[in-house]
Amino acid sequence: MIHFILRRLLYGSVVMFFVVLIISSIIYAAPVDPTRMTFGQRSDNATVQAKRKELGLDQPLYVQLGMYMRDILPLSIEGDTPAEKEKYQYFKLFSVGNHNALVFKYPYLRESYQTGRRVSEILSSAIPQTAVLALASMLIATFLGILLGVAAALKPGSVFDTSAIIASVMGYSLPSYIVAMMLALIGGYWLSDWTGLNIQGSLFELDDFGDNRTVWKNLILPAIALGIRPVALITQLTRGTMMDVLTQDYVRTATAKGLRKKIVIFKHALRNALNPVATAISGWFAGLLAGAFFVESVFSYNGLGQVTVTALLNFDIPVVLGSVLFTALVFVVMNVFVDVLYALLDPRIRLN
Amino acid sequence: MQDKILEVDNLKIQFQSFDRRTFKETKIVAVNGIHFTLYKGETVGIVGESGSGKSVTALSLMRLLEEPPSELVSGSILFYPEGGSKPVDFAQLRPDEDMPPYRGKHLAMIFQEPMTSLNPVYTCGAQVAEAILIHNAISKAAAKQKTIELFEKVKLPNPAQMYDRYPHELSGGQKQRVMIAMAMSCDPAILIADEPTTALDVTVQKEILKLTNELQQNFGTSILFITHDLGVIAEIADRVLVMYKGNIVESGNVEDVFLRPQHPYTKGLLACRPPLGQRLKRLPVVSDFMGERVNAITGAKELYEKDQPNIVFNNTISDAEALTKSSKLLENAPMMVVKNLNTWFPTKKNLWGKPIEWFKAVNDVSFNVYEGETLGLVGESGCGKTTLGRTILRLMRPQSGEIIFENQHLEHLEQDALRPLRKKMQIVFQDPYSSLNPRMTIGAAILEPMQVHKIYENDKIRKEKVIELLETVSMTAEQYHRYPHEFSGGQRQRICIARALALQPTFLVCDESVSALDVSVQAQVLNLLMDLKAKMKFTCVFISHDLSVVRFISDRIMVMNKGRIEEIGFADAIYQNPQTEYTQRLIEAIPKGIITK
Repeated sequence: MIHFILRRLLYGSVVMFFVVLIISSIIYAAPVDPTRMTFGQRSDNATVQAKRKELGLDQPLYVQLGMYMRDILPLSIEGDTPAEKEKYQYFKLFSVGNHNALVFKYPYLRESYQTGRRVSEILSSAIPQTAVLALASMLIATFLGILLGVAAALKPGSVFDTSAIIASVMGYSLPSYIVAMMLALIGGYWLSDWTGLNIQGSLFELDDFGDNRTVWKNLILPAIALGIRPVALITQLTRGTMMDVLTQDYVRTATAKGLRKKIVIFKHALRNALNPVATAISGWFAGLLAGAFFVESVFSYNGLGQVTVTALLNFDIPVVLGSVLFTALVFVVMNVFVDVLYALLDPRIRLN
Repeated sequence: MQDKILEVDNLKIQFQSFDRRTFKETKIVAVNGIHFTLYKGETVGIVGESGSGKSVTALSLMRLLEEPPSELVSGSILFYPEGGSKPVDFAQLRPDEDMPPYRGKHLAMIFQEPMTSLNPVYTCGAQVAEAILIHNAISKAAAKQKTIELFEKVKLPNPAQMYDRYPHELSGGQKQRVMIAMAMSCDPAILIADEPTTALDVTVQKEILKLTNELQQNFGTSILFITHDLGVIAEIADRVLVMYKGNIVESGNVEDVFLRPQHPYTKGLLACRPPLGQRLKRLPVVSDFMGERVNAITGAKELYEKDQPNIVFNNTISDAEALTKSSKLLENAPMMVVKNLNTWFPTKKNLWGKPIEWFKAVNDVSFNVYEGETLGLVGESGCGKTTLGRTILRLMRPQSGEIIFENQHLEHLEQDALRPLRKKMQIVFQDPYSSLNPRMTIGAAILEPMQVHKIYENDKIRKEKVIELLETVSMTAEQYHRYPHEFSGGQRQRICIARALALQPTFLVCDESVSALDVSVQAQVLNLLMDLKAKMKFTCVFISHDLSVVRFISDRIMVMNKGRIEEIGFADAIYQNPQTEYTQRLIEAIPKGIITK
């Protein structure tokens, strides 16, 4: 098991390397100068060139790439000076030569071109918001989806089953930003007196006195908007696998033992139907963790999606790279997690 | 007279079926007003072929059929509880609401497929303990204790450890023992066994039958034993019911039915098992004994008995004849030479994905196949016979060793180089249900290999050849455009044979090709194979776990055990005078169809 996880994480780091490579190449190829974006219209050429030099943007791609890789590696050789230490916040392992040291550090994602804040700081304030949102919507989706799927599978061809399928096809076909706008309009505007919900807002907000506060109700509408499509997907998947599992011999064995139907369904059948559903849920969850660009924008929800979109618009390369890297990491970890989950759900699967 | 325990009267069950062609709901009668009684402590066998309604009957007794599509139209299932209280009519109870207290406690059931009958995600012990906990108010620890005791009674090795094992870690026979333990856990009055040994090897079957007999003696349970195998019935049952198309056509004591069968169907069924004592030219089939005709007066279909069938006379091959025929075959040059063949599967890999442990499915095997012979390959499941069959056709890559087919080495050939050879070597698989593409008409399925190998000039000629082939395997030209699901198992297997023969191969491997078929259908397919072989003169390797089938069809037999060849020799010699202990055990375990009780 440990072997398995280590090997998979090793593959994962290769994936991450290629992600950085591809994204950097695309950005490099784009005909935009990030430094000009930072200064705006009124910058003179000398200043821009100086800034380019400072950010290392005058270097060829492979040099830039090499420098970035060195920055994000947890184990690297850095200069042994207070300034460097301040920049990388490393933990010195031992000295290499006179001026350098082998250090252990968090991946250094550099600073935003726009605000000068550390990218890791920007991300770490956005990620929890997105994570809570993703978790909330997936919880809704999983619970509803499995319930509806099981109910539909029990009576295939019935009115309930048919309407569940039609509804889920419709739900799946609806783009999430349309749903988001409709929900914002109806729930947060027309009926806001009655629901008490805001049309826009984040989970963590500054109140009028400048203090942080958590506004849980701002989670409701975006979570529903993001949950509708996975509900549809999970319903259909659960229904399909459940119908298959219900015809299996061991379900009949369970009934022949004298178990009540409910226990047969939830204890014996459902557990066997969960594997494909688990794949879908975790895949979708990973996707949501990467940020729900549209829905976050519609609700002005300060999550990773919105941060990334803003960074892209401003060509804020370090922020874009940082969030893409985080997304890749989420998928890598999630994939390993799913495989481990499989082994837990089904004792026949051995990690190997 | 003993006490009645179950009385089934006028039971009629039908299934709804939706015809996609006509868009009409049709009703198919699966069980047509049957009547039988089960007495305390006896074993009643229900025998019949697939579609006879025997499994439907078994499932309906516990109301385990899904409703819909099934429907209990009429009749009663009276259960007489112990202590002489009033009988309960299961037919009147609601399956989901009222039946659970009876299931498992008063009636228990064992199913055909031990591989799929246990839930893969729970341990064997937990599944048995669950059954105990439903019907008894005892603690979990006590249920566990009782489960381990039951495991001991059904003779599972290391009962305490077995408790925590998952089903996939057990062999088929062990799983069936767990199922039996589960069924017996609440000391039921009636045990319904639906083909409990059909999926098992003969040696395992023998042990399971012995176990059921023992348990019946200890617990005094009444057993309803459902099977298609008359040989098994003879060994276990007191009385027999013979079912045919939803009706009980004959019933009586085992002795009477076996020695003095009355109904032509029973006679046919008894005759079509490949006999062990003698060599037949062809196997009798049910249609030799029984026909169906329209009654001139009533207009209804009825069964009638044919005149004493010729098939019974002049059908045996003498030992001398067989020996001359077989020895002559050995004078031919070997068509295939296999030397020190190894096919291994990796079971453990190191960190870099390199295998470090192997399962040796085929382990240092050498033999010859002579031109024109049928070489039977027999062994228990897991002995490597299927792997061997696939390796010599190079559907699998061997680890090492030599395969020489018509003086050409096959072991190192790549797929491209093998393709022309595929024309000469064909295979017929075990499961006729999954080996035909459901989205391809059977005509297209047979046509395809001809197109791939570009034999015959154009599709028109090829189509004619396909129709010719269909007729050779006793199908009709009109069936060319039909899809596989419209055919029965036996018909599908004939289609698979036609497909394999489409390229006029010189070498055919039949991998358990008749194992999934009913005995009467099996007899038809075996006869067909014999006829085709005489006509088309191919060499055949016939793989089967059933020694009686192998003995009927083969010139020589090769016995395989744990990846190695135990012995090889003429069919009669192997059967009459087995050299190794393993072969003796295998022959010993075959149900002889002789009444033992």
